[in-house]
Amino acid sequence: MQKYLLRRALFALGTVIGVSIIVFVVLRILPGDPLVALLGVEGHSKMTPADRAVIMRDLGLSDSLPVQYVRWMRDIATGQLGKSFFRGDTVRDLILHRGPLSAEIAFLSLVISWIIGLPVGVLSAIRPNGWADAVARLLSILFIAIPGFWLSMLVVLALLFWFGYKAPLLVVHVWENPWQNLQLVIGPAVVLGLAQGAYIARMSRSCLLEVIREDYVRTARAKGAVESAVVLRHALPNALLPVVTISGVLLGFVLGGSVAVEQAFGVPGLGRSLVTAISERDIIVVQNLVLFYALIFVAVNVLVDLSYAWLDPRIRYQ
Amino acid sequence: MADPVPHKARMSPVSRRSFLQTLGVAGAAAGVAPAFLRRADAQEFMLKAADPAAKPGGTLRFGILNAPAHFDVHQSGTISNLGGQAPMYDLLIRRDPRDGNTIIPDLAHKWEVSPDGKRYTFYLRKGVKFHDGAEMTAEDIRATYERIVRPPKGVVIPRSSLFTAVGDIVVVDPYKIEFRLTEPRPRAYMLGAFASGWNVIVRKKTLDDNGGNLRQVMNYPGTGPFRHVSRKDKEVWIQEKNPNYWNKNLPYVDRLEIYNLPAFSPELGSAFLSGKVDYARIMDPISWRKAKEMPGVTATAMNQSVIQAYFFNMKRKPFADPRVRRALHLATDRHVMVDVVKDTAPMQVGGFVYPFHEWSTPKAQLEKRLGYQKDPKAAIQEAKKLMAAAGYPNGLKNLDFVVRDLASFKLWAVAIQAMLKDTLNVESNLRVVQTSQWFEEAGSGNFDLAISAIVSSLMDPSDYFTAWYGKGGPQNYSGWTNEEFHSLAHNLEREVDENKRKAMIPRAEEILENDPPLVPVAWEQIYDAFYNRVRGQNATKFFGIYDVTRWDTVWMAQS
Repeated sequence: MQKYLLRRALFALGTVIGVSIIVFVVLRILPGDPLVALLGVEGHSKMTPADRAVIMRDLGLSDSLPVQYVRWMRDIATGQLGKSFFRGDTVRDLILHRGPLSAEIAFLSLVISWIIGLPVGVLSAIRPNGWADAVARLLSILFIAIPGFWLSMLVVLALLFWFGYKAPLLVVHVWENPWQNLQLVIGPAVVLGLAQGAYIARMSRSCLLEVIREDYVRTARAKGAVESAVVLRHALPNALLPVVTISGVLLGFVLGGSVAVEQAFGVPGLGRSLVTAISERDIIVVQNLVLFYALIFVAVNVLVDLSYAWLDPRIRYQ
Repeated sequence: MADPVPHKARMSPVSRRSFLQTLGVAGAAAGVAPAFLRRADAQEFMLKAADPAAKPGGTLRFGILNAPAHFDVHQSGTISNLGGQAPMYDLLIRRDPRDGNTIIPDLAHKWEVSPDGKRYTFYLRKGVKFHDGAEMTAEDIRATYERIVRPPKGVVIPRSSLFTAVGDIVVVDPYKIEFRLTEPRPRAYMLGAFASGWNVIVRKKTLDDNGGNLRQVMNYPGTGPFRHVSRKDKEVWIQEKNPNYWNKNLPYVDRLEIYNLPAFSPELGSAFLSGKVDYARIMDPISWRKAKEMPGVTATAMNQSVIQAYFFNMKRKPFADPRVRRALHLATDRHVMVDVVKDTAPMQVGGFVYPFHEWSTPKAQLEKRLGYQKDPKAAIQEAKKLMAAAGYPNGLKNLDFVVRDLASFKLWAVAIQAMLKDTLNVESNLRVVQTSQWFEEAGSGNFDLAISAIVSSLMDPSDYFTAWYGKGGPQNYSGWTNEEFHSLAHNLEREVDENKRKAMIPRAEEILENDPPLVPVAWEQIYDAFYNRVRGQNATKFFGIYDVTRWDTVWMAQS
C-alpha cells in the first residue's frame, strides 16, 4: 500500500511539474503583447522601445525563461504564488478570497449530480425501456448536450425578467452570510450539477443493468429479499465503482465548466478570475491558477483511485 | 522659454471676463453662458449642484468597468481607472459636470493666457489639503505636469502629446504657476488639455517616493471630494465623503460604492435592472432599451471620444493607391454598420471628423455626400469606377483582414467582408485575434485590412489629426502620409485664431475623403441609465466619459 501511495504521489508530482512547464512555456510563446493590457490601447501605441525595455525589465520578462521559471517555483515555495503582473496583488490572496466560492460550486454541483443522477439511473435500470426510462434518457442527453454557459445565461435572464432578481454582486463567504452566499453559488452549482447528473444517470443505469443480471442478485431475489433491498443493498453498491470513477473525471469538467458558468452568472469565483487574467494576459495569475486547477484535478484522481479499495474489497494495492 | 514681451503687457487677465469668454466657447452654442456662472466671481467660485433643492447624504451605487490593470491614472487610457479613481482627485481646471463641456475653475481659481498664446498662468486655491493632510502647492502641480509632459523612462502617458509645446513649468510662488510654451497653441486646445479628466493632481512627495511610477500604488493621496475606504479587486471600490474638501458645498453623497461591471455586459444591465446599482454607465443597448421603459428611470445617450475604423496596409501595393482606398471607403455602407451592432453597442454615422463637433460637416449635409447616403447605389458605382481606374476592375483576392476579438468588430468584419465582395469583388479572409495580438500585427504591418477602435483625449481636431492621421502618428496604423494634410494639420495646431482654424477643417475633410487614411465605420456612443433618485448630473451633453466622473455634484433625492 505504501509503495503504491509513493508511486502514485510521484506520478502526481510529475504530472503537476509537467503541467507547470507546459503552461509556463505556452504563455510565453503565444502571440500578443501583455503590455497592451498594462498600458491600454492608446498608451501602448505611444510607448517607445526604451519604455518597453524598462517595463519588461520591471515585470521580470526580460530575464531568460529558466530564470523566470525558477523565480516562479520560488514564489510557489514561499506560498505567495507570485504577484499579479500589473497591480501587485498576490495570487495567494486571490485564491483565498475567491477559491472558497469556486470550491462550494464544485462541491454542491457534485452533490446535486449524485442526488439527481443516481435515482434517475436506478429508476431507468429497474424499468428499462419503460416511459420513465425514456424520459430519463431524453433529459440526460439534453443536459449533456446543452452548453453550461448558455443554460446559465437563460437562467440569469429568466430570473431577471420574470422576478427582477440578480444574485449579489460581491464575494460573500458562507461564514459571513450563508443566505447571500447560497444565492451566489446555487445557480452555477445547479447548472453544472445537471450536466454531471446526466452523465451519472447514464453511467449508473448501464452499470446497474449489468449488475442486476449477476448470479448473486438472482440469489438474493430467490431468497425472498424485497426488490428495493435487492437493488439498493446488493446491486447498487457493486454498480457504484465506475460511477465513483466518473465522478472524479467529472470534477475536471466542473473545474473547466465553472470558468464559463461563473462568467455567465457573474459569480466572482476563480473561474472568472482566470477568464479575466487570460484576457488581460496577466500571465502570472494564469499560470498559477492553471497549476492550481491541475493540482486539484490530480489530487481528486488519486483520491478516487484510493477509494476503490474501500468500495470494493476485492481490490488490493500492490 | 521666456517671451520677450513684458509680462504686464502680455497678459490678459482672464479671471472673470476671460473666464466667461472661455465658457463662451461652449456657451456660445446655447447663445448665453449659464446664469450661475455669469454671477460667479471666479476667485470665489465654488461649484454646487444646479438644483437649489440639492441635499447631502446617502450612498450612490455606481456600476462601471472598474478593474484597472494598474493604478496610475496618468498612465492609463481606460475608464477602468477613471471609473474608480476620478472621485478621489482634482484637476487644475475642469469640465463642468452639469453640462460636461464648460471649462470652470478647479484647483486653480483663475488663469491667464498671454495674447500670443505662449504663456498660461494659473492661480491656485489656498488651504487645499491632500487626503493625507499635506497642503497642495504649486510644487505639486509642477511635479504632476513635469511627469505628464516629460515622463521618465518606463512611464508611458498617452496625454503627453497634448503638451508637446510646453517648455518650462515655473513655480512663481506657492499658489501661482506658469506654463511657458515654446510655440503657440490654440487656447481652447490647451485649456481642454489641462481640463482633461486624466490629468489628476498628485503630490510631489508621492511621485518622489515611488520613483515617478504609481502603477502599483493603489491608494495615493489626492485632493478630491471622496477618500478611499476599501477596495476588492474586480468587485467594488468604496469611498467616503472627504470632510475637508475645499469646495465646501461638495460632495453631496456620503458614500460611493463603485461596482466593477464591464462595459456593454449583460451583467451591468442586469445589475441595474434588478436595482443593485443606482447608476449604470456604458450599458448594452438591449438592457438600456429595457431600462428606458422602466418607470422612475432615466436612460441617456452621450457622444464618446472613439472612432471605429478599419485600416489599410499602405505598404502593400493595392492600398498605396488612394483610388483603391476611396473605393473601399465608398463601398462601406455606414448606416448598415450602425444597424449591424445595434444590439451590441450604440453607434452613429460619421466621417473623418467627430460628427457632433461644431466644425464638422453637419449631419444633413454629410448624408448627401457619397459614402454616407442612405441609398448606397451612387457610392458603389463610383467605387467600381475607381477600382477600374486603379487597375482592379475584377476586384482583389485573399486580403488578410485582421479583426480584434470583440463582439462589435467581429460583427462588422463579417458585414464588411460581404459588402466588399458583393460590391467590388474584393475577397478577404478574416483572422480574429486577441486585442494584444491585434496591436502586434498592426504595429508590424502584418495585415492587409485591420479593424479596431481608436480614441482621442480632446474633441479638438489638433489632437487626433496628429495621433490618428499624422505622419508616424501613434494610431496611424495604415502608415498613411499626405503632405498637404500634414502641413494643414501643423498649421491648425499652431493657429490661435479659432475662426481661421475652423476654416481649415473643410479642406482637411476633403483630403481625407479623397485619400482616406482609414475607413470610418462608426462613431461610438455611451448609454447611461439611472434611477430618478440620482440627481445633479446631465450626461446627455458630455463628450466622452473621461472628463466628468467625479460625482461631486450628484445628490440623492432619497437615501
